Order: sequence, then structure tokens, then C-alpha cells
Amino acid sequence: MLTNLTRRTLMKGIAATGLAGAFGSRAAFATDEPLGITLVIPSPIGDVGWGRALAAGLEPVKAAYGDKVKVTVIENIAEGPDADRIMNKTVADGNKFLIAGSFGYQNGALQIARRDPSVTVLHASGFQVAPNFSPFAAKYFQGTYLLGMAAATLSKTGKLGSVSAFAIPELITSINAFTLGAQAVRPDIEVSVVWVNSWFDPAKEQEAAKALMAQKCDVIFSNAQDTPSVISACEEAGIYAFNLNSSMKSYAPKTYLGCVATDWSPFFKASVDAHVAGTFEGANAFLGVTDKVVKVVDWSPDVPAEVMTKIKEIEAKIADGSFSPFAGPIAKADGSEGVASGATLSDGEIVAMDWHVKGVTTPLPK
Amino acid sequence: MSAFSAPFLPTLVRRERASLAATLLAPPVALAVATVLNLGLYLLIGRDPVAVVYAMLFEPFLSWASFSEVLLKTGPLLLIAQGLAIGFRAKVFNIGAEGQFILGAIFASAIPIWFPQATGQWIWPMMLLLGVLGGALWASITAFWRVRLNANEILVSLMLSLVAAQLLNYLLLGPWKDPNGFNFPQSVMFQYDAMVPVLIAGTRVNVSLLLTLALSIAAWLVMQKSFLGYKLQVGGLAPRAAGYAGFNEGWAIWLSLLIGGGAAGLAGAAEVAGPIGQLQRSISTGYGYAAIIVAYLGGLHPIGIIASALFMAALYIGGDNAMVSANLPIAAVRVFQGSLLLAYLIAIAFVRYRLEWHRPIYRSKP
Repeated sequence: MLTNLTRRTLMKGIAATGLAGAFGSRAAFATDEPLGITLVIPSPIGDVGWGRALAAGLEPVKAAYGDKVKVTVIENIAEGPDADRIMNKTVADGNKFLIAGSFGYQNGALQIARRDPSVTVLHASGFQVAPNFSPFAAKYFQGTYLLGMAAATLSKTGKLGSVSAFAIPELITSINAFTLGAQAVRPDIEVSVVWVNSWFDPAKEQEAAKALMAQKCDVIFSNAQDTPSVISACEEAGIYAFNLNSSMKSYAPKTYLGCVATDWSPFFKASVDAHVAGTFEGANAFLGVTDKVVKVVDWSPDVPAEVMTKIKEIEAKIADGSFSPFAGPIAKADGSEGVASGATLSDGEIVAMDWHVKGVTTPLPK
Repeated sequence: MSAFSAPFLPTLVRRERASLAATLLAPPVALAVATVLNLGLYLLIGRDPVAVVYAMLFEPFLSWASFSEVLLKTGPLLLIAQGLAIGFRAKVFNIGAEGQFILGAIFASAIPIWFPQATGQWIWPMMLLLGVLGGALWASITAFWRVRLNANEILVSLMLSLVAAQLLNYLLLGPWKDPNGFNFPQSVMFQYDAMVPVLIAGTRVNVSLLLTLALSIAAWLVMQKSFLGYKLQVGGLAPRAAGYAGFNEGWAIWLSLLIGGGAAGLAGAAEVAGPIGQLQRSISTGYGYAAIIVAYLGGLHPIGIIASALFMAALYIGGDNAMVSANLPIAAVRVFQGSLLLAYLIAIAFVRYRLEWHRPIYRSKP
């Protein structure tokens, strides 16, 4: 409160002297305050990737609400004390809608939600839920299954690779579904994984892609990188590649296989609507093809037509809920039973998945 | 040929003595120059310059909430810089405080991670002690190779920082990973008694700040008033003279690195047992490197370092504020911080040196 008061007084003082007018100051203190929406993300916001997809998801909100919302995107914030301070500050500034764009923001964001019930928080990839705090995550695995089918068709060596960020369930499931989709076309397919342990490290990602190529992998899955490094390395080497979140086709016009894109706008729009109407209720939002959040775009024209038809069939079945990539029988990488015949993993089991399916040759880091 | 030797180029000549007025005037002049330059930048990118300058330079000091964050950020910078400055004055260039910080954090975390149920007020002091030990141990590797093989301490300590980061990664991805953390690379949250008590209620400033100030005074006493400090400084200024006087160089290297490492380790411990409350990957946002700048900005003098640490911390907090309140992109924040430091270094150069314009020398032909 104190901050706001002093700040306003000072700004008014400056405006009165005409200084602010000279600098073209915006009329920031109109009587009808807009809803302040803040998005905090861990990486620098690029033209592509996770942060860009989240920011793009707010565009329809801006279009729908116009002057009634004020969106601020804060990029490149390390998880830890800095993130906590920045989130606290944005709420203290009067912003009532916070999107915490990284798992590591969980504790700080949850504290804010608990302290101030008038604030709504959406939190990426977490597991905590509160009345005004919803974790959200994408069912990437529904899309990577489809790309696995295409990859197995186009692979000559029978070896696929994935450059992956962290060994968390979200990414483990996307590799597993990719492998299962590939095996549906070609049962003997093998998948190698390199964990780079970073969301944003172009040099390391590119090296990892080259290491996979050296192992004869000829389709590479760039799993949750915020940079086009893997995609462009693959274009150079002339092998197929695909990624998550937003299309990177412009970085690989020849060898781009497709993109498991995320469109967060339906979810963001619905959440903001609920906040404005005062009906927001925190819940675990695990969203996929059915919710129009996950969709595969920019398919390569090299995928044969008959395979594409099959892929579209499966995609329709995923959308109407009659097919799950994680329907048994599925064997674990160590040979034991993962999913029994006739059983299907529930959402709860999928978000906690900590094992690889048979066919993934790289052991999971323990 | 000599007739053409840089006829109109000025050279820097060291002043006999720097004037006190100029020394005191340098920081405000640098601040003014950098601010004016950056105002132009903000106009170019369409931001409100008044709001930016307000958020960046004034807001950190205008509310208790903001200023307490400045103090929180000052803690690790001050502690590490004091430790490093002692070594720098003895011409022992420990560039690896980042790694020593990480090892301090790791050592301190061992107690709450191995004994999550332990209670008692002995826990956090013990953690801080372990932090000192961890940082000093890591620095002793550098000291050992420097004294034994004359290995360059800049390179050894810098590269050991990379090793430290990987050690942290290993622990967080393996044995110290939170079993209920969905495979995210972070430890359990520490129990209450493993947290350094808060000094000022309602803020995140904790008792370690008092410790840091006490150690700053100790650093001043040791460096300015004791024979030990004298020996270290002579060793740095005139190693041969120090040798003739019987001061052992190896001893000075060991002492410098152990003090620097211990201080950095303590800072790391205070960070995990303070605002973070768990061991995670991004425990340091480059404190170990920023502290080198702090040490030199403060003229390697314990009192100067207190001022420069406060200044750097305020710059960080102001930069965060500008991103949140004035919607400034992070790149512009970095430009401001960089140009401010540059302007200050230039100003300080003119305090210590003066320009001498050489008139062209005309020589009669023989």
C-alpha cells in the first residue's frame, strides 16, 4: 500500500510539473483500473518455444478484453528468491492474475495465492492445487504418439533420438508415447535419449543432437527446448526433426517433420473469464487434443499419404477419447510389466510416470 | 619516424594524488550520464522514461518492503566480495567463488536432507558452519595445486566452478532428489529449524545479514590494522620484498583462498537456509561472479565494499522493479546496469588519471 501511495503521489507531482507530458507519459492511473495479468517465464522470450507459446496464449485474452486487461510478460527469471520477489512485487502492484510459467515457481506462487484470495494463479507443470491456484500441463504425449508413427515410417536406420530437457514425468511420457507410436508402425524401433538438464542451452542441445546423429538416429525429437538449436542442426545434417510448443518450420524448411503445438488460449481465456465473473475454482488442468490445447501442425509433406490417413484416424480417436497411447499391454524398458493387457493409465498415473517403455534404450537417470 | 608517433592522441597519466572531491563526485556523475543515455533508449523503444527511472533508481529505497529486498540481495554479494578482496589485495585471484558458494550450499543442505526430522536451534548455525567448511574445502583444491605445481589459480578456481555446478546437478538428479518431487531436480523443503531466523519481521532479511556486517568489520580490522593483513598486502604489492622479509608466499595463497572460499561457502549456506529453503539448481544467480565486480567497485576496501554491495543489490532490485512496473524488457535492464558500471569505471579512471595531450613534435630535418 505504502509503495503505491508514494509512487502515485510522486508521479502526480511529476505530471503536474509537465515533465511527464513532455516524455509522453501514459495516463496510467485512470479511475477504472484494468485487470493486471502477469506472465513470468524462466527463459528469454524468443520467437519460438515455451515462453512464446504462453505469451501467444494471452493474445486472444487481450483481443477479447481490450483496455480492460493489462498484460505484462516478465522473461528470464531464475527459479528461486528472485522469482518470489518478482511475483510478490507484481501482486503488490495490483495485478490480480498471475501465470507462473515454470515448475520451480511453485512454492512462491502458492504462498501468494494462500495470502491473497483475490489473486488467481495459474502454475505450469505443478501438482499443488488451491481454491485460487490451478496447475496446468499439456498432454504432449497425445501428439508425440502421432509423430512417432511418422518418424518410424521415414526412418531408414530404425533408430530415433530425443534431446530432452529434464527427466520429469511430462517429458518422460512424451518420449514413451513417441516410442509407442513408432512401434505401432515398426515394432523393432529403438529410441535413444540425451538429457541436457536445461530448458535453455543452445550449445549443449546442439551437441546432444550431434551425439544422437553419431549413433545413427535419423529422426530427432527436440523435447521441450526453448531454442531451435536441435531443429537447425538436423536441417544441416539433412535428417528429420520435430519439437513441442510452437512451430520451428522456418528453421528447417526441408526436414521439419511437424510440431506438437500448444495453444493455451482456450484455457487462459476461460480462466480469465472465470476470474472476472468471480467463479474461478482451482483445479488440475491437464489438457490435450480434446481440449484443443494440443494440436499437431506443420506436418512434413514427406509423410506418405496412407500413413497420414492412419495418423488422422488415430488423432480423431484421441480427440473423442476412444484411444489412449497408454493402453496396455505395455512393457517397461527393464522388461517388467508396465501396463497390463486391457488396462489404460489414468491421468493421475500419467502425470507421475517415472519409467520408460521397452524400446527406449537409454536408462532413465536415477 | 618518431615525428609521427601518435601526434594528437592523448595518454593517461597517473595523478600524484586523487582529490577527495573528485572521488566523491564520480558516482553521481556516472549515474547522471548513464541515466541520460538510457532515457534516450527508453524513448526509442516506446517506454515511459519517468516510470522506468523511478522504478529502477528510486523505488528500491522508497518502501521498506523494497529496501528489505535490497538488504537481502546485499548479503551474499557483500560476504563473497569481502572474502575475495582479501585475496585480491594479496594478488591471489580467486575467480571461482561461484563454485565455493555452491559447495557451501551443498554442505549446509546435508543436515536437512539427511535428517529431515531433526529439530533444535543448533541446526541452522551448524549448517552455516558446514557451509564455511564446504567453501573452504573447495577453494583448498585450488590452493593446493597453486602452491604445489604453480597452477594458475584463476583457471583452476574458475573451472572448479563448472565442476561444482555438475556436482550439484548430480546430487539433485540422483541421491538428494525429493522422492515426492516428480523427478524435478530439487531437494525436499527444509524443516523450520533448518532456516536462519528472520531478523526483521515481515521481510525475508535474516540473521545472516548481521553476521555479514560483523565479518565486514572483522575484514577491515584484519586488513587495515593487523600484522597479518600487512603481510598479505606486502606479498601482493612486492612479492620479492615479502620474500626477503621472510613472509611465506605459499602461506599467503592458502590463507587467501581459504578465507575467500569460506566466505563464499557461508553465503551459499545462508542462501539455501534463508530465502530459498531447499537445495535446487538455481541457488545462485551469479553471485560469485558479481561479487568480483563488487570487490573492485569498492576499491578492495572493506568499507568501500559495503557501499558497492548495497549499490549493486539496489541495481538488481531496481532492474526487477522496472521489468514488473514499467514493462521494460530484461535486455534493456541489463543495458542500464552495464552502462552504469561502465560510466562509473570511466569516471573513476579520470579521478585517478589525467589526460595528457601531446603536441605534435616538429623536428628540423638534419
